Amino acid sequence: MLKTDTNENIVGVFDTEEALINAIKNIKKSSFKIKNVFTPYPIHEVFHELGLTTRLPWLAFFYAVGGTILVFAFLYWTSVIDYPISIGGKPDLSPSFIIVMFVMTILFGIVLSLVTFFTVQRLYPGKVPVIIHEDIVDDKYVIVIEKSNAMTERDVVAINKLFVSNMAIEIGLKNDVEAI
Amino acid sequence: MNSSVTMDDSRFKIPPKLTAVSVILLGIGIVSAISGFASDPVRIWGNVLICNYYFICLVIGATFFAAIQRITQAGWSAMFERIPGAISGYMPFAAVLTLLMVFFGTHSIYHWSPHKAWYLNFPFFSLRAVIFLGAWQFFMRLQRKFSVNEDKVGGLQNFKKAEFYSRVYIFVLAPTFSLASFDWIMSIDSHWFSTIFAIINFVSAFLHGSAAIILITLILHKMGYFPQLNSAHLHDFSKYLFMLSIMWVYVWFSQYFLIWYGNIPEETIYYVSRTSREWNATFLANVIINWCFPFLFLMNNRVAGNINALIVTSVVLLVGMWLDIYMQVMPGLTGKNSFGMIELGMFLGFLGIFIFAVTRSLSKANIIPANHPYLNESFLHKAH
Repeated sequence: MLKTDTNENIVGVFDTEEALINAIKNIKKSSFKIKNVFTPYPIHEVFHELGLTTRLPWLAFFYAVGGTILVFAFLYWTSVIDYPISIGGKPDLSPSFIIVMFVMTILFGIVLSLVTFFTVQRLYPGKVPVIIHEDIVDDKYVIVIEKSNAMTERDVVAINKLFVSNMAIEIGLKNDVEAI
Repeated sequence: MNSSVTMDDSRFKIPPKLTAVSVILLGIGIVSAISGFASDPVRIWGNVLICNYYFICLVIGATFFAAIQRITQAGWSAMFERIPGAISGYMPFAAVLTLLMVFFGTHSIYHWSPHKAWYLNFPFFSLRAVIFLGAWQFFMRLQRKFSVNEDKVGGLQNFKKAEFYSRVYIFVLAPTFSLASFDWIMSIDSHWFSTIFAIINFVSAFLHGSAAIILITLILHKMGYFPQLNSAHLHDFSKYLFMLSIMWVYVWFSQYFLIWYGNIPEETIYYVSRTSREWNATFLANVIINWCFPFLFLMNNRVAGNINALIVTSVVLLVGMWLDIYMQVMPGLTGKNSFGMIELGMFLGFLGIFIFAVTRSLSKANIIPANHPYLNESFLHKAH
């Protein structure tokens, strides 16, 4: 789940994908915790390094199966139980169900997955995003480490040093950054 | 520099037992063909057609796979380029066997053959077979030449030529393979027709040709070749099987469904005979093996990246392909669901020739193309 907090965050900006991955690896070895990573495009290694997993595919599967069952039940009830009509002498329960079931499986799978994803990520149309760095939609890569209340001045200096030693080209502070 | 030594090491050495095995399999095939010929020659010719078409489809599917990789300049599959190349080494054998079948078996297999329609008559039929097989052999030979030349001279000129002729090949393949499937398979039920027939057969060939490539690659990996093969390659392989099995059932069901809905007697007769009590079990088994199994089995991510799971799926699909062709040929030819020792034996006979041709072709060039421009990308392939 995402948590938005009022703490200030230290933001390290990187120039290349390799520098970013390398920095993530080194920060993982230190005592500091990565709060979030922003990249212009999905990078598989980032998911891998941060140990991010998702159960969304399983949910999508169950949504789709649920959709199939629901639509079959609906078709069965309408055209076999409640109001059977003979069309061209075809049986009431017939392969003509399959196309509708197939389409509705896809519809349920996609729409419910999308709704779940938007809910979990707290996204909605018209949401104003927090711009961490204006170049993360272009060619820069960003790592965010939270500056918690428990941190001393020395910790902050250590984080800055860690960023610099890992080829960060820019270091800044930013509020209202969502955690992964 | 000991580059010549490493080159020799990267070549496939045919295990001496394998040649013996392929000869024994061929012997089994010949014995079963002869043993059944006296009592039921139509059944034997039907089996010749099934097996011939089966392996032609594998070659067509595998070379189409390779052509697609070249046209899209796919990096991940660069190191497997020689596998479809080796499979295409069966094409001359297929051509000879098919022409023998056309010249000696046409009157037993196709009941239209005594008649003289403008399209379906024996001279034009044999001429078309020669054209189709000749065209395929020409393009496969050409690709093989570029691929081997690239090993010798390096550079990009062979790579570019291979890509260009791959484009030509898929355009040539579309009409020739469509007409070939009409000629050899659909004309058995000569009063029945389906305009979606060619695409079903083509997708089936693509699916099972990919399965053949995957099976051969993974067996070679188990023997110690392709040490660079990693889980990302396996995932890509299983994506091909997963996607194509869905595609296959999509077109398969489209044909069935439209005929069922249209309910025109001259069309429905095709499925009336195939869903009769005698054929119903094989009819359903065809869909279960070629779609339900790979679809449900490969859906799970961990299974999709498992080498043994992929080997099992490929073998199941290759069995399924035989069943698919059997269901298209035999109900219209003999009308009897006669699966038995003769069917199995004759398949093994053709398999023997296939193994012989493919391993011979595989051993003649480096198993990994030495100068393919995307080779490094292929070695370092990661899932994205």
